[in-house]
Amino acid sequence: MNNLKMPSTDRTPEIDFDFGNNHLILRGESYPEDAFSFYKPVFEVLDDYLVQLGTGSCQFDFEIIYFNSSSAKAIMTLFEKLDAAAAGGASVTIVWHYDEEDDTMQELGEEFGEDLEHAAFRLTKLAAGS
Amino acid sequence: MLASSLFELRARLSDAGIIFAYCGYVSEPMLTGLGEAVKQRLAAEDMDTKTLRSVFAVFIEQMQNIIRYSAEKRQRTAPGEHAPSPEVRYGLITIGRDGQGIVVKAGNLVHVEDVVRLGSKLGHIRAADRAGLKALYKETLKGGPVEPDGETSKGAGVGFIEIARRASKPIDFEFMSVDDRFSFFALQAEI
Repeated sequence: MNNLKMPSTDRTPEIDFDFGNNHLILRGESYPEDAFSFYKPVFEVLDDYLVQLGTGSCQFDFEIIYFNSSSAKAIMTLFEKLDAAAAGGASVTIVWHYDEEDDTMQELGEEFGEDLEHAAFRLTKLAAGS
Repeated sequence: MLASSLFELRARLSDAGIIFAYCGYVSEPMLTGLGEAVKQRLAAEDMDTKTLRSVFAVFIEQMQNIIRYSAEKRQRTAPGEHAPSPEVRYGLITIGRDGQGIVVKAGNLVHVEDVVRLGSKLGHIRAADRAGLKALYKETLKGGPVEPDGETSKGAGVGFIEIARRASKPIDFEFMSVDDRFSFFALQAEI
């Protein structure tokens, strides 16, 4: 299926879903004017991909600097979709990258991660300068 | 007179430690520019990354709260157009220094019938400790609709909890009666 690439804007993150390599990245800041409209097509493409993935393996990297409360629901939904795919037999790894100078983002990553039952989860510091 | 009264307003803001102030109608598209302005203003201040991000996060939640819930709203249809322009709502927000901390204050009108519900929600958040806020955040996120920003999520829960989590002290709020239809709602968070 076609990869999904969306450049970042002032208020939306970069989306880099490289389905060919089973590597998905969400990067930057997320406080869209309308979080529902922004994330809906992302959810749809991800749903199609996860069905097709079956029992294959994939990695999702979250490299988020900041997200607002409306985006929090969308991020939780992404986690839930990935965990459901893992429950169905896929080998899913979620990596949450946080800026070590902002421990709120580390805390939020831990909180989203602790709800995962099937997907593997890792917290890691963002590479300096990214 | 013109210059002196305007200079006096400027001096009052400055004396109060205000580094950013906005008062007027606001919409989501307008928030894009205002957000950039605040980012640049904060970057010029001497503060660490976490404080800077937290002040910005609180600013965004406070503004979006005004944009979604202020009871003072206006929708204009531009001449020659049938579709109304995006709704704008009125509120004010200030970011200021207070001793070692940064304080973000926001105010807007609310309908009197919403005061009790809103006050009880905020009282609950103000009384919660860090662990309580964390639990409340998750509970509210999970209880909401699947849509991240659907009409039914207008309960304004997660935004207030996010503000409280980013603050270094309990949030403060107050309602002031304006007339028999409206109250003025003020919310403050210190980072």
